[in-house]
Amino acid sequence: MAFAMRVKVPPNSANLQEARHRTFDFFRAACRSIPSIMDIYNLYDVVNPSELRSTIAAQIRKNAHITNPKVIDMLLFKGMEELSNITEHAKQRHHIIGQYVVGNKGLVQDVDTKDEGLSPFLKNFYNSNY
Amino acid sequence: MGLGSLASRALRSSSSSRVLSTNPRYNLIRTIVSTPELHKPEAATEAASEPDLPKRTPIAGARVHFPNPDDVIEVFVDGYPVKIPKGMTVLQACSVAGVDIPRFCYHDRLSIAGNCRMCLVEVEKSPKPVASCAMPALPGMKIKTDTPIAKKAREGVMEFLLMNHPLDCPICDQGGECDLQDQSMAFGSDRGRFTETKRSVVDKNLGPLVKTVMTRCIQCTRCVRFASEIAGVQDLGMLGRGSGEEIGTYVEKLMTSELSGNVIDICPVGALTSKPFAFKARNWELKGTETIDVTDAVGSNIRIDSRGPEVMRIVPRLNEDINEEWISDKTRFCYDGLKRQRLSDPMIRGADGHFKPVSWRDALAVVAEVLHQVKPEEIVGVAGKLSDAESMMSLKDFLNRMGSNNIWCEGNGKYLDADLRSGYLMNTSISGLEKADCFLLVGTQPRVEAVMVNARIRKTVRATKAKVGYIGPPTDFNYDHDHLGTTPETLAAILDGNHPFSAALSTAKNPAIIIGAGIFDRQDTAAILSLLNSLSAKFKNLITPEWNGLNVLLLNAAQAAALDLGLIPESDSGMESAKFVYLMGADDTNLDDLPKDAFVVYQGHHGDKGVYRANVIFPSTVFSEKEGTYENTEGCVQQTVPAVPTVGDAREDWKIIRALSEVCGVRLPYDSISGVRSRIKNVAPNLLRVDEREAAVFSGLLKPEGSGKVSAVPFGVTVENFYMTDAITRASKIMAQCSALLAKK
Repeated sequence: MAFAMRVKVPPNSANLQEARHRTFDFFRAACRSIPSIMDIYNLYDVVNPSELRSTIAAQIRKNAHITNPKVIDMLLFKGMEELSNITEHAKQRHHIIGQYVVGNKGLVQDVDTKDEGLSPFLKNFYNSNY
Repeated sequence: MGLGSLASRALRSSSSSRVLSTNPRYNLIRTIVSTPELHKPEAATEAASEPDLPKRTPIAGARVHFPNPDDVIEVFVDGYPVKIPKGMTVLQACSVAGVDIPRFCYHDRLSIAGNCRMCLVEVEKSPKPVASCAMPALPGMKIKTDTPIAKKAREGVMEFLLMNHPLDCPICDQGGECDLQDQSMAFGSDRGRFTETKRSVVDKNLGPLVKTVMTRCIQCTRCVRFASEIAGVQDLGMLGRGSGEEIGTYVEKLMTSELSGNVIDICPVGALTSKPFAFKARNWELKGTETIDVTDAVGSNIRIDSRGPEVMRIVPRLNEDINEEWISDKTRFCYDGLKRQRLSDPMIRGADGHFKPVSWRDALAVVAEVLHQVKPEEIVGVAGKLSDAESMMSLKDFLNRMGSNNIWCEGNGKYLDADLRSGYLMNTSISGLEKADCFLLVGTQPRVEAVMVNARIRKTVRATKAKVGYIGPPTDFNYDHDHLGTTPETLAAILDGNHPFSAALSTAKNPAIIIGAGIFDRQDTAAILSLLNSLSAKFKNLITPEWNGLNVLLLNAAQAAALDLGLIPESDSGMESAKFVYLMGADDTNLDDLPKDAFVVYQGHHGDKGVYRANVIFPSTVFSEKEGTYENTEGCVQQTVPAVPTVGDAREDWKIIRALSEVCGVRLPYDSISGVRSRIKNVAPNLLRVDEREAAVFSGLLKPEGSGKVSAVPFGVTVENFYMTDAITRASKIMAQCSALLAKK
């Protein structure tokens, strides 16, 4: 309960500029915590800081099309929560590796040079049923 | 029944009138009031004024059909005039007028018992409230459904019903979809006055499907009437009188009907619930997906209730033309087979004879390599009995591109001709069977082959005393029938006219001959079909412009669509000379003739019979996980809808073939299911008209005369075990229990 009381939700961004500014703040905060994350989760042999930085940037760019400041605030809040979970060691090493090092493509990178000539259908077929 | 609307209506009317009539100080003391004006019904009646009449819509789309314009009478329901045909009950008149009367014992498809008294309404000039379900509506009758007297009567009935009903809703499987629960919320009193101990009743053992908690029973006798009227088994009955009254099997006996699961649906309380579903889920956590059943060729309409990735139960959906509102036990309880014995990864059989999971890439590459080494005429494709039209279309297209045209569907035999749709469909249509007045069943046991068709025949026989003749091995019927013989020669005798049944057939107005799909496997299929053709030439009443009485009752969900798509083997010696066999879910194909060195690809969802001989396994999806088109035995096209996600690394059937075609270098020209469908449109456009029955254009079989002589071999039993007919039901534990306990020995 005490933990829940500490959470303070900042007021909404007034406009897109403010939301954008907050996004950059968040990105900087995340980048600053990368060394400690590497340390906590002992990621030295699987990833280097620049790769993690680009992963964070990619996660943010995934939502680049969103223009509603309220939605951006919500996404930022989720991002901050995730970041604090990571820096508070609320996760385990494999979570970090699975989500941010390997990505959603999975461990087995079944990419072949033969794939070049395949149709999009077949590529998707090898990937999943949907 | 729109119980939600019932409840809201009751709440609305009671609260508004309470404002007018109750003492505000009284309200302060009792915050939860029942309907105090009900205690002085006479006073409140005077206060009630003439209601203004909003437009009402009939309950559940109830329609009135006036066969004779003279028989129209007009009654007034709550002051609203409504025209109904003579002979309708008060309750039916109310539902046409858009008033839903609460009921427990009344059911549209069962006889009227009139013993629950919940449907009491007030009729002007009648001294007492009348049970609307049993009272015929008379001209000019003024029915009042919302008066204090009617409400008081319902409240009283509820109190009596709840007197002996246990308060175990929290542990009752019916909770959330219980008529008693809903109606006691809407019409019941807020308190009971019963202080004695409730009665308790010993639970009955009705078998592995129906769980009984007889203490909850309110003696509506719906199940008793269902068993004796629809299912045609005299297993259930009412024992004792007064408070000792209970439902049971008279002797220690299980309920052995293939329709027994339906008593779960018609039971208004939690007395009869599903045993496999017991304590598994609550109905509000389930997601319902409206789809169809594929375990037989009827295509019953069902709703798959799933929670997350798991199918929790299957319940029927109303379709008057196919299954009315019943489904067979196999349809209802086969769902646990959907999660057992499933194939989840592509596999290749190694040199040691064991299967090894591999990636799709490797599995497809291996098959493509083998496929290029065999001659085109040595390639054979067999579609299984559960295949959808899309996958059969792509299988045919793929193998045609590989140069082979040896593709068929299980159960269709070698000798069947797919040129005329009337030669393999139920031309009368399932609901059309109700018009027939004479049945001749040839080599078919509809009770196990197509339960819903059998229920329809039974309904007809019960209603019109239609005559039923049967040719085939001795079997069980739940209606009166004449066993005419066991061999096709009896059919020849009927044709000659020296058989007593020929007279019945020739005098009938709408005779219906039903041929079982089991004859497709016989050597003399063509001879039997030409015999039937001569039969239809001799008995002119069999095929008239408005009646087609020559029917084929198919066995499997895939059969009709396969024949529409032209999945007919090119040569007779399919298996003997095959070097490459593609089994698309085909488990019941005889592979004994297959050469030892033949390469077998099994594409399917269950590790069933076909897997034993397979070299490569492609995992695919079951009907609850894919969107597929199926045509039922009467030619009605329906689609399944995915209810749950696929298992493991499985892919949809048509996608596997499409992918394989690309790996083989003969890429099929469609990338999506709509692409496959537009290809189907070129071959069999009727398969795209979903939920419509496409009748055969030409009637009659139009077979060449005298194609061989019928043999004296008796007709065989087509379905050995009703509960286990395909890969899904063979994997089901519940079906295994059923066949151990219930299957007729």
